[in-house]
Amino acid sequence: MGVFVFLPLVLPLTAWPIARLAEQHLHPRTATRLLTGLAGAMATCSSVCLGLLMVVGTAQLPGNPLPDGWSDPEVRAAVPYDEVAGRAAVPALLVVVAACGGTLWRHWRMRRRAHRALAGLPGTEVAVLPDEAPYAYALPGKARDRIVVTTALLSCLEPAERRALFAHERAHLTARHHRFLLAVRLAAHANPFLYPLRTAVSYTTERWADEEAAELVGRRRTVARAIGKAALVSRGTPVPTLAEFAAPGPVPRRVAALLAPAPAARYWPSVFTAVGAAAWTAAAGTAVSAMSSANSALTLAVILHAATPL
Amino acid sequence: MNQRQRPRRRGQGELEGLVLSALREADGPASAGWVQERLGGDLAYTTVITILTRLLAKGAVTRERAGRSFAWTPVSDQAGLAAHKMRKLLDGESDREAVLASFVTSLEPGDERLLREVLSRAKAEGED
Repeated sequence: MGVFVFLPLVLPLTAWPIARLAEQHLHPRTATRLLTGLAGAMATCSSVCLGLLMVVGTAQLPGNPLPDGWSDPEVRAAVPYDEVAGRAAVPALLVVVAACGGTLWRHWRMRRRAHRALAGLPGTEVAVLPDEAPYAYALPGKARDRIVVTTALLSCLEPAERRALFAHERAHLTARHHRFLLAVRLAAHANPFLYPLRTAVSYTTERWADEEAAELVGRRRTVARAIGKAALVSRGTPVPTLAEFAAPGPVPRRVAALLAPAPAARYWPSVFTAVGAAAWTAAAGTAVSAMSSANSALTLAVILHAATPL
Repeated sequence: MNQRQRPRRRGQGELEGLVLSALREADGPASAGWVQERLGGDLAYTTVITILTRLLAKGAVTRERAGRSFAWTPVSDQAGLAAHKMRKLLDGESDREAVLASFVTSLEPGDERLLREVLSRAKAEGED
């Protein structure tokens, strides 16, 4: 096996070009599903690999409850630097579990608290809050989804633009975008190399909702204007993030995409164009790496299974 | 102790809503005793005081001295209270974007100029 056992840990790097291409050239719906699936598969392989490395590297340590057979010399031969790798895998795995658990917990707590904040209001789908801070959120719920929007944001939009805003938020809720977002967040915790996929998916879900809104409202320009106005009016609410140098942020890109013609319903560009060739090459590369990632994890599992004393 | 005897323990937010709507039914400032009576004596006097003080901290009510106690006046309605709670929640949560899909994210430096350019170009084209 050699160093191949470590492949699932680093192969998520190969998903970067496909994330970029998918974000730019695929229909946002396809891109979201593709990238989320990819992130999920690679994160699973990476975590399985970490777990197996830990087992092989530490099964013979005194006090370890794992069968000693899992750490036999033949098994160890499959993992280079097994001592170091096994010990390093323990804290890594703990970090992954803690980060994922924390994320899930914060996710539920945030949703619960947001619903509780709205508890006194009439149970309409749209909750309009009198607030001078302009914002709008789609709040998924078990019993009832809600759209939260403030008077400050509504007052700066024209009726058609308000319709666009509501259509956008409703699209988030009907397509259950929060699940995609949660999945890629968990994946990024499982393997930090998957972080660019998280950024890409949070952009493509917004684009997806934009496209749905444009279809419903009938005028792409109206949706673009609504987004532009909302962004300009809420620019005073700063979020301390690291500014990406030179690269335009998601909002101008979304507006520009809406001012361009609707993305083709065709799911994948033809292989005979430059973009198509690049996309196919990247897709093939990513598929190969996902498969070898799964293969490495599986092989290690099979070796361990064979070494299990019965 | 009184809390435990009640069949169902009501949430903090629910009680705040009840007290606030009771207060809004009064003509002019009302005392805590009046609010308690209005709610059917279901809540202990101290509970009503606690909830009113909490509403005061949230800016949902004001109070003024009236003799030995306070007279309370509502400032905001249920929606205002909800807005306050929501703001507090959003301000306290650093990664809210991941849970609540917002309509727009913040603009990065330089984005504003770019956005204005794109929009004005779109406007010019639309007028052609």
